[in-house]
Amino acid sequence: MSSRTASPAPLIDLRRVVKVYDGLGGRVTALKGMDLQVFPGEFLVVTGKSGSGKTTLVNVITALDRLTSGEAWVAEAPIHSYGPEKAAHWRGETLGVVFQTFELLPTLTVLQNVMLPMDFAQHLPVREQARRAMHLLEQVGIAEHARKLPAGLSGGQQQRLSIARAMANDPPLLVADEPTGSLDSVTAAAVIDLFEELRAQGRTIVMVTHDLDIARRGSRTVTLSDGMLVGSPGEAVHA
Amino acid sequence: MLRARWYKVLHDLLGSKTRTVLIVLSMAVGLFAVGIILSARAILTEGLAQAFASIKPSSGVVHTAELFDEGFIEAVRSMPNVQEADARRSLMARVETAPGTWKNLTLFVVADYNDIRVNRISPQSGAWPPPDREVLIERAAMAVIGAQVGDIVTIKLPDDTERDVRVAGVTHDPAQMPAQIDGTPYGYISFETLDWFGQPFGFNELHVVSDRPEDKAWSQRVVNQVKAKAERAGYTIPMTMTADPGQLPMDDVLQGILLLMGFLGLMSLGLSVFLMINTISALLAQQKRQIGMMKAVGGRTVQILGMYLVMVLLYGAAALALAIPFGTAGARSLSRGMATYFNFDLLSMDVPPQTILVQLAIGLVLPVLASLIPFLSGLRISPAEAMSSYTMGRGRFGLSWFDRLISGANLWFTRGLPVRSLLLSLRNTFRSKGRLALTLITLTLGSATFISVFNVRASLTSTVDDMMQWFACDIYITFERAYRGDEVEMQALNVPGVTQTDIMLQLPARRVRPDGSESGMLYLFAPTVGQQALISSPAIVSGRYLLPEDQNAIVVPTGFLLDEPDLQLGGDVVMKLYGRERTFTIVGTFVGTSYLHMFFVNYNYLARLTDRAGETDSLLAITAAHDVQSVAATSRRLEEHLQDVGLRVDTVSTMQDERAQAEVIFDVIVSLLLAMALLLALVGGLGLMGTMSINVLERTREIGVLRAIGASNRAVAQVFILEAVGIGVLSWFLGGLLAVPMTKVLNTALGAAMLGQPLSYAFSMQGLWLWLAAVIVLSVAASFIPARNVTRLTVREVLAYE
Repeated sequence: MSSRTASPAPLIDLRRVVKVYDGLGGRVTALKGMDLQVFPGEFLVVTGKSGSGKTTLVNVITALDRLTSGEAWVAEAPIHSYGPEKAAHWRGETLGVVFQTFELLPTLTVLQNVMLPMDFAQHLPVREQARRAMHLLEQVGIAEHARKLPAGLSGGQQQRLSIARAMANDPPLLVADEPTGSLDSVTAAAVIDLFEELRAQGRTIVMVTHDLDIARRGSRTVTLSDGMLVGSPGEAVHA
Repeated sequence: MLRARWYKVLHDLLGSKTRTVLIVLSMAVGLFAVGIILSARAILTEGLAQAFASIKPSSGVVHTAELFDEGFIEAVRSMPNVQEADARRSLMARVETAPGTWKNLTLFVVADYNDIRVNRISPQSGAWPPPDREVLIERAAMAVIGAQVGDIVTIKLPDDTERDVRVAGVTHDPAQMPAQIDGTPYGYISFETLDWFGQPFGFNELHVVSDRPEDKAWSQRVVNQVKAKAERAGYTIPMTMTADPGQLPMDDVLQGILLLMGFLGLMSLGLSVFLMINTISALLAQQKRQIGMMKAVGGRTVQILGMYLVMVLLYGAAALALAIPFGTAGARSLSRGMATYFNFDLLSMDVPPQTILVQLAIGLVLPVLASLIPFLSGLRISPAEAMSSYTMGRGRFGLSWFDRLISGANLWFTRGLPVRSLLLSLRNTFRSKGRLALTLITLTLGSATFISVFNVRASLTSTVDDMMQWFACDIYITFERAYRGDEVEMQALNVPGVTQTDIMLQLPARRVRPDGSESGMLYLFAPTVGQQALISSPAIVSGRYLLPEDQNAIVVPTGFLLDEPDLQLGGDVVMKLYGRERTFTIVGTFVGTSYLHMFFVNYNYLARLTDRAGETDSLLAITAAHDVQSVAATSRRLEEHLQDVGLRVDTVSTMQDERAQAEVIFDVIVSLLLAMALLLALVGGLGLMGTMSINVLERTREIGVLRAIGASNRAVAQVFILEAVGIGVLSWFLGGLLAVPMTKVLNTALGAAMLGQPLSYAFSMQGLWLWLAAVIVLSVAASFIPARNVTRLTVREVLAYE
């Protein structure tokens, strides 16, 4: 395991983050005053049992959900203060998200799925978007399927597509929530290879998984239990 | 090359064809209903007014007892306030429609059929003008007398002169009450033919157009001036009639129809609005996860909203493309049917642009607004929640006290219910309460309107029953002159089949208003009053019926008070009888139309007033058997016997004839109501089908889960069918309740337009049960078809469904 890059400015800085949900069984505190820092170039793996708060942590880092209290700074942006509209815009510019269930648009082709975040960000003209999307598909190895609908791809190919989409706007940060959860071990290993390649290109990666074999592939691992960080094998824990 | 997001819009539209068809159809039926009703209303309002104006309608008609010639017409034409005048001769006759069966016929004689200046008559087919010794028949009357062009008919005048006359052609005379309404056909002959009938030359009807025909009060004054001139010239004026400017002979019915159409148009509009909100919110609920994902990859609200707005605009445009042409065609066909009833030809069938604009607004603007509501409320949910698998399907069931209640955990009696069908359906029904509320509002409105339409129909029948209450006999005969009452009754009782008789006097009258102007012709009926009297009372609305000791008491129809608003119960009304003014006190009002004014006064008082004590000009008879054939046979025997003993019979009617005539007035409204009920059933039914089908499609993944855990296709279909039937039956129940006040409002408005008082309320169980059957069939079809389609997919395909 490599140590984190010595950089004074963390890319992700969570300060006393609390997230409370109103559930069927009453109020549930999913994150209990969590502090966490992730530095540029890290491949942070978050592990923990089901219900430990892993997905909530991803939702907080990606501003997909709002905090109950505390502060969340990502790429120097105070996302804890962002409304849904600003958060969406910020996400499109700053990070890519990869989900366990891929969350692809079934009615768009593989190529169009990758073009969609570029369309929302409105950085490039349409033809340039298509060129870049094609390039990303080549990078993840599914360029020959560009004209197919997602339903025509295997699970591994869909996850590669999901990663290509996450890279669409060339974000410095990639957040993945159980990206291998729906894949067999060989395909899962290939997806992690892809993440390592992306990290080698200088991106920061945060990945949630409950698979300890995969967890070992990260540059740092933290473990969540009952909404709190409880330890990190061989590494410092910011708790 | 399009941007990626627009590909999504296109693929969503074209990829889910079933969903697109359902959404477009749901929107189109609402728009179609709005279009057909608003367009037909506009076509009728404009078209009938134009058509009526084209015949140059008279401001009033002055009838004379004596005949006048062209010289008097010219004199009237030269009067300063008379824009135009023309004259006709009219005479009552009878036509033999079957051997031994005679029908009243009004014959008109015009000097020059090619130069009719007022109340123009036009040729339709056959000869024009009427050849000598031949007759032309008004087109609406052809069916009434059952004749064809070329047939020979026998016409008899009151003096028993009979002639066989050939029907040479068909005319169109829109100024007359359509023959199917008042039961009196119209014939047109030349003066040569009149001479052949042994009648002298001369006119007895003066049709006048004032120089300000749009001003009713002024026109009334001008008609009175003409009447005064005629009286000064020595003519007796038994009656004058002044028309309301631009009003057709059946204007009350037309107003009733337009009112009804306006109401139904509004209801369809409401239905359409709710259908659209419901459909669009269902669509957005289905897309909730995808919306969450798009936000996750950087999609901003305005961008995502833009995509869905374009999508709903395209749905709206497709629905409009269907609804506008079909609605316009339907409106034209409906208007044509109505115009036929009113015996008019519509000069223009153009649908006014405003109607199309209303449809465009509903079809394009409303879906956009409708999509804003669920979209904006959806903004409150974070992308994480939108994509959460815990909210599979719709809503977050289980959080509210109501959810916990219907979960059955606390209800002992639900513990024995089969979870698969009843409980699951019940809980599913209440999962998305907002959508359920929308669906229920839509369906309840549809149900209530459908049931109300049947209720109004039942109320019209009930009103006819009330209107006919006065006609408490089987046969009603009028004589050409008065005879001794006891002699008439004795002769009638000699006829086999006649068991009871009564006598009545009737005479025309006019109301003299405080300003000296006079109303149109009214009929005073003076039946005997007391224990033995056949007419015990018409359907009294306010006040009371006549009493034996009454002197100048009068019972007036409600419709008359509508026309003469200065009159009221307990007040006095001045009537002109035989040229003399008499004051009566209004003691009661009864259910009666405004186009056939019958008034009831005491026989003894009127007989004394007119110096006809003991005399009668009408006979009422009750027969031993009351079926149509027996009454008709007895009526023929009675008429023949009375003729044989020298009593000259003028008209003979039976209860069935009178009832049919009273009903025919409402026939067009009943037909319209039935057509509208069908239309509403279509709108409500397709709305129900659309909503239910979208609900099933939306829960496709859930169906996959049910099947994955071992549910059979039948069990899955059962859950959805029970849910749909549950919603349908609930809307039927609520609709039935809402129909009560809705019917009352409709009855009040329709009755006020036609009768001057609400229709007699009746609740139609037929409509209630019919709609229940329709709702159950539609609910089953709406949920079964999509559920069956989904169960045909493999579990893997269903679980992958988005």
